[in-house]
Amino acid sequence: MATPDVARVNGSSHRTDWHDRYYHVDQVLDRPGPRTDPSFMAGAGVKEFLRTQCKILVIGAGGLGCEILANLALSGFKDIHVIDMDTIDISNLNRQFLFRPKDVGKPKALVAAEYIMKRVPGVTVTPYFGKIQDKDDDYYMQFNLVICGLDSVEARRWINATLVNLVDPENPESLKPLIDGGTEGFKGQARVILPTVTSCYECSLDMLNKPTAFPICTIANTPRLPEHCIEWASVLEWPRVQGEKKMDTDDPEHIQWLYNIASARAKEFKIEGVTWQLTQGVVKNIIPAIASTNAIIAASCCNEAFKIATSSAAYLNNYFMLIGTDGVYSYTFEHEKRDDCPVCGGESLEVSVPRSWTVERLIEMLVEKQDIQIKKPSLSSGAKHIYFQAPKQLEEATRPNLEKPLVDLVPDGGDITVTASSLPFSLSLRVTYV
Amino acid sequence: MSFSESQDIEGATTAIQSQPDNKTRRYDRQLRLWAASGQTALEQARVLLISASALSTSTLKNLVLPGVGHFTILDSALTTPADIGNNFFLDPDASLGRHRADEAVRLLLELNEGVEGVADTSDIESVLAQGPSYFSAFTLVIAVNLPQSIIERLSPLLWDIPTGPPLIVVRSAGFLAEFFIQFHDHDVIESHSETAPSLRVDKPFPELLNHALQLDLKNMDPTDHGHIPYVVILVRALEDWKREHGAPPSTYAEKRAFKESVMKMQRHQDEENFEEAAANAYRAYTSSTIPSSVQALFDTLPPPDTPLDGQRHFSILLSALRAFTSEPPHVLPLSATLPDMKSDTENYVALQNIYRRRADEERAVFRQLVRDAGGADIPAEVVDLFCKNAHAIAGLKGARWGDLDTDREKLVSRLQTAPREMATHIALSALSAWLSLNPITQTHANGNANASAQNAASLAPPLPTAEALLAIVQGVVGIDVELGKEVHDAVGEAYVSPHSAWRSTHHLHDSARAPTADLPNVAAFMGGLIAQEAIKMITKQYVPVNGHCVIDLVDTWTGIIA
Repeated sequence: MATPDVARVNGSSHRTDWHDRYYHVDQVLDRPGPRTDPSFMAGAGVKEFLRTQCKILVIGAGGLGCEILANLALSGFKDIHVIDMDTIDISNLNRQFLFRPKDVGKPKALVAAEYIMKRVPGVTVTPYFGKIQDKDDDYYMQFNLVICGLDSVEARRWINATLVNLVDPENPESLKPLIDGGTEGFKGQARVILPTVTSCYECSLDMLNKPTAFPICTIANTPRLPEHCIEWASVLEWPRVQGEKKMDTDDPEHIQWLYNIASARAKEFKIEGVTWQLTQGVVKNIIPAIASTNAIIAASCCNEAFKIATSSAAYLNNYFMLIGTDGVYSYTFEHEKRDDCPVCGGESLEVSVPRSWTVERLIEMLVEKQDIQIKKPSLSSGAKHIYFQAPKQLEEATRPNLEKPLVDLVPDGGDITVTASSLPFSLSLRVTYV
Repeated sequence: MSFSESQDIEGATTAIQSQPDNKTRRYDRQLRLWAASGQTALEQARVLLISASALSTSTLKNLVLPGVGHFTILDSALTTPADIGNNFFLDPDASLGRHRADEAVRLLLELNEGVEGVADTSDIESVLAQGPSYFSAFTLVIAVNLPQSIIERLSPLLWDIPTGPPLIVVRSAGFLAEFFIQFHDHDVIESHSETAPSLRVDKPFPELLNHALQLDLKNMDPTDHGHIPYVVILVRALEDWKREHGAPPSTYAEKRAFKESVMKMQRHQDEENFEEAAANAYRAYTSSTIPSSVQALFDTLPPPDTPLDGQRHFSILLSALRAFTSEPPHVLPLSATLPDMKSDTENYVALQNIYRRRADEERAVFRQLVRDAGGADIPAEVVDLFCKNAHAIAGLKGARWGDLDTDREKLVSRLQTAPREMATHIALSALSAWLSLNPITQTHANGNANASAQNAASLAPPLPTAEALLAIVQGVVGIDVELGKEVHDAVGEAYVSPHSAWRSTHHLHDSARAPTADLPNVAAFMGGLIAQEAIKMITKQYVPVNGHCVIDLVDTWTGIIA
């Protein structure tokens, strides 16, 4: 059988685009549609840019990432980079279609990159097995577009803030469109973020579902649900019995131990429903995930990337959400920028707190409040340290402030700067007392 | 798993589970959605995909990964260079010139060793000639971008098999797509509805009422007082209210006064159970009735006392449920599941047991009603499942593919009420009709990969024009109907001048933008949607689309034409 032509370009083995390779894609690149922006230059130029110049970064090589890589490669993106810090687990195989049982334990980024290059000739996928935080601004500056298929809020906030900070008004190239996808069961969303121009990830933090948290007194004294017994085993019994030993939720022996302890407690309190699966689900905070939803959301992200890279059609402005449990329901809307967004807003966030509040109470609020959610915040006001989580000496020096009334440290209408090591930005609060 | 009182800790540990097997671990993230019952249904399913296009293999990928039992790809075409360019499940080193069904099956099977896959390279015409027997062996048939003339024969063939497979008809062109699921009935018993069943605070059963009334609120120990579950507080507060006022709160002022009366029962600010009760006060003054969705299903039944011999199980169960609700207090069978609420273990478990005992009694009544209705042969677990999920059951009556397009009145009215959805549908229908009469084969579809580009260009068939398409649309909706901007937009997405002349010449004589484009992203998007619907049809735990689902990936929206 004839195989597509092989040619040598720049000394490297490189398969050229065989005739009709892009028979399908070219139909929308050779001609505009009625809603296409007049600036669209149909034809060779746009194809040339897409296939030889455009450089795209994919963050995550998991459920969404595998799909994203395949879609981009088939759409004609030739220079794709992928970052993922995870290795392949057996539970990934129901949806992460670039992985096989023999790959369990190997880094996702490497296996995914290799697979795509084998299946889609002429595409270069450069993998990085590690954290996004390992990379600096220069690294992110090299890309035209960034697509995220992540399951972590923290990582999304980090990349979002990094790309917003990257924007230099003098340099149009510094604005990197960020396309973000996420799924849960039959539901998902895709959005386009133009850092500093549109609403950013941080602007919409309050749209996230509030994670289920069980009060510690319920867990300790009045369990009612199987989940309460599991939390008792993992939050209270593990540190008490196992001491310094770190709990590894990927270790089946650890899950087994937690399950045994939780089952015994459930029996004692006559609570039904503690199972191995539920134990694992609660301690790992497992979110159901299926191939089909990932396919829809990843395709939506890649479609936006393709439209942005080619101008062949208008791109999403700026949020698409889909619920597939009851028919197909979707909602496309423009999520609005927040003026007091700590990342892209520039204005201080106004908070009014009771005069009786201590510093510790304010910190509790910062952790819990839906639109803030800063774990382990450090606080300062002007040059004054209020409370610092690290380094150790500073933590010790500022610890006594935790019990002090906030009003003793910050005047009415005063500003507090909140930082956290996990987030590359600071939040500016303006406090008023009530 | 439940432990009886007599079991000792050793007895409990012997019953303890260990890490699940490899298969359960592999499917863990989906089992948390559709459980073992859904997985079994999926593994017993046999799916037929007609065509091995990119959209088809994208769909199959999402069915093979979760472990569908069997799939067949029916496609007689040979793999072209264009196919390899947009289909991830064709091999650039090996597939060219071979049957794409064979190649796609081979590569799809690499995804899951537990799945059986077969390629059928017969011509669709010869298969249709065999009659219904070929298709009745399948659980579901999915037809992707088939010519109108083929669908027009396939759809009635499947519709006329009484228990025949549902048919999903998929069309796409460029950034536009749509699908329709043809089915007679789709019942959802094992539902995952997020609406909670009634706790019957307003209509407490005797044991719940007694439990609430016998509480000595005044002299109660403070710890116990702070642990009364809110349901009990509300039942008590409502009884007290009714004693004083005669009837439950109905006006806004009364409801507010009731809520205040609940808050007055609170002894200390830190009694969160009373705050929870006040927040749930609506449960006391919202009457527990039959949900409208369930009532609507009752309305589809023949009158009571009509013999149900030979009826579907779902109808018999529904009829038993109607009989149950015809008796006072005219409510659905009680659910045994109690949501979590502020309380201590003892009070909560006691309340849970009160609900459970009553639910058991009502289930027994329901079972008897099912037998009386002629459902003695319905498996007990189905009867119990139906009883448990009575508040969230769904029963869809489907329609035949093509019914919309022959109902001119409906077409015209939908053009008004859902213009962009309807416009996309009729544009894709017109395209399909045009392609039926003027098949565009890829210029190299004869498998002659050696044809030069120049040669191919000279072989290029005529492309559909907007004029031709609009004429088809006009013929369907009627000559007197003015076509709006939405129609021109949708039509234009497939039919536009190469020189953007559309805007000035009002899109006449334009050639096609993307009449045959199976774009990778659109194929992947649709592959996800179709697989999701297929899983719903197969597992019967979720509600599928009933109508035409239209997708526009220019502006990124989806819509339904009901």
